[in-house]
Amino acid sequence: MSVKVGIPRALLYYYHGDAWREFFRLLGAEPVVSGETTQATVAAGGGVDEVCLPVKVFFGHACELAGKVDYLFVPRIISLGAGQYSCPKMMGLPDLLKACYDGLPPLLDMTVRWSRLGPWPAVAEIGRRLGKPAPAALWAWYRANRQGAGPAEASGAGGGPAAGPRVALVGHPYLLRDRQVSMDILRKLRGMGVRLLLADAASAGDLPCFADRLPKKIFWHYCRKLAGAALALLHAAAPPDGLVFVTSFSCGPDSLIGEIIKSRAAERGVPFLLLTVDEHTAEAGFVTRLEAFVDMLSRRNRL
Amino acid sequence: MMITFPRMGPLHVVLAGLLADLGAGVVVPPPVSKETLEIGTKYSPETACLPFKIGIGNFIQAIEQGADTVITCGGVGPCRLGYYAEVQKNILQELGYRAEFLVVEPSAASVWRTLKRLAGGRSWRQVAGAFRLAGAKLAALDELERAVCYVRPREARPGQGDAVRDQAVRELERAGSAAAVGKIAEEYRAALAGVPTDKAAEPLKVGLVGEIYVMLEPYVNQDIMRRLGRLGVEVRPTLLLGDYVRTHVLRNYRSVRCAADITAKAARYLAHPVGGHGVKSIGHAVAMGQERYDGMVHVFPFTCMPEVIARNILPKVSREEGLPVLSLAFDEQSGEAGIATRLEAFVDLLGYRRSRLS
Repeated sequence: MSVKVGIPRALLYYYHGDAWREFFRLLGAEPVVSGETTQATVAAGGGVDEVCLPVKVFFGHACELAGKVDYLFVPRIISLGAGQYSCPKMMGLPDLLKACYDGLPPLLDMTVRWSRLGPWPAVAEIGRRLGKPAPAALWAWYRANRQGAGPAEASGAGGGPAAGPRVALVGHPYLLRDRQVSMDILRKLRGMGVRLLLADAASAGDLPCFADRLPKKIFWHYCRKLAGAALALLHAAAPPDGLVFVTSFSCGPDSLIGEIIKSRAAERGVPFLLLTVDEHTAEAGFVTRLEAFVDMLSRRNRL
Repeated sequence: MMITFPRMGPLHVVLAGLLADLGAGVVVPPPVSKETLEIGTKYSPETACLPFKIGIGNFIQAIEQGADTVITCGGVGPCRLGYYAEVQKNILQELGYRAEFLVVEPSAASVWRTLKRLAGGRSWRQVAGAFRLAGAKLAALDELERAVCYVRPREARPGQGDAVRDQAVRELERAGSAAAVGKIAEEYRAALAGVPTDKAAEPLKVGLVGEIYVMLEPYVNQDIMRRLGRLGVEVRPTLLLGDYVRTHVLRNYRSVRCAADITAKAARYLAHPVGGHGVKSIGHAVAMGQERYDGMVHVFPFTCMPEVIARNILPKVSREEGLPVLSLAFDEQSGEAGIATRLEAFVDLLGYRRSRLS
């Protein structure tokens, strides 16, 4: 029987999930991805204080996998670009998990640092832990990434009737694409007749450079992509009718980057809605604000 | 040019003199107060961390008093501090405050540019002298703070040590030469040694770790060092302003080695630095456990990313190293009574624990 490697369906899974699954499959392991986030997932991850909701959700998924797999894949992703970081919480993720939960399977918690040649030390380390020679691991990594390391799930952008307002939806994929966390905002907005312009980082791989036009380079890798995509939309020939920025409470990078996006939106005359989610977010309040925003945009378009 | 800067504990004592000696007009922002905090909270993003908000408050108050330039630090992450300046500049601009930002990034080129801008007309000797004076003040301030931490729990009449300290800080602020600083330090060392104390007392020994801003700014931390001192605790602050400058700005060999040792001690619990002082909070906890401290207080701004990680790992460190730890998050809502109650309860427990252990 092949070794089972658990991959929590949370955080960076939404960016790199396909490549990760394929990589473990090619290595001869069986990747086991946790299910969709539920209320129970959030509750199980609630044992940590003051961290943001996505990290709690991550821990919930890790708990779900705990009894079912031989290894848990919790890489420590430091940087994915020169002079860049993921975010402090992602950098401390394995330690945080080990400190807060007992009875976990062994973690594959290798440190991933950016290098021109790719994350080969981490890949080789995974190979070693799973009893595979380094070249085999590197070859698997190369092949897994060659097959397109896109988002873990289809983006589902576009759609909606041609008449509705065009709304840019900005937020990390681990928020927007997690239906529990984001209250299924994609479907809700589409249901309101909105033409969605998705600007989460996964759908905007080719647009990061826009963030580099800011006077100071953003040193959080994922936020740089996010801001790049949002600014690209805002500075397009036809800017969106409105911009919705979804963030999680106590997300550090977002608290500052959101401010930048907000001020750019104001410059471009684009109405801006900030939606903050945490485990106490109630659906009714969330929907009311979305509806009010969309109504306002529709009326503004008619005037 | 009328220049201002963010306040942080005794930073203004050093920085105001340094900037003036380099040839700039200086507007020292008023001490952090309720009003500073209100201004900052009003104009900052809701979940920005406290030092960001207070910075906004400092800048606006100083600009209203005539400042036209702000000097502050940049950074390269992953802590949010590195991106403060960019967003603060943006916010002030939108509010219609006209101020030029001099952002000192951690690179030789950036320091050089700023220095040229500030001290264009000064000679090398004058610039070197200004920095020497600032360095002397930093060292004197650190020494004073550590000495008063020793005196507080032992003094016969509470408040005597602090009276000496406050007077010394005021004099240091005015001191114009390194020699004068030396004399003041000498004088007040003697004055503190002369405060009547109970020499036989063995007060509880408690380490103070965490994020530097909250640790140093008494308005924000509800004057935690004095408070603990009055409760009969000898506080060992792990990071004072001078320590910070030596480790992170001057990269003094001994200080950097010390910091590396502490990081190594943390490795069992947190194997990689997470920005800010997160890994050091853990490392110090391990070290204090080994050195048989009675307890440790961990302070940080609410939502501080590095310290939130430390905060969640500390309970495990506390269990395994046998060191009681109290984590306190501070934000604009922190009330005096809440902090006082928790500190008192913590100190009571430490006293009880010590009596049971002995």
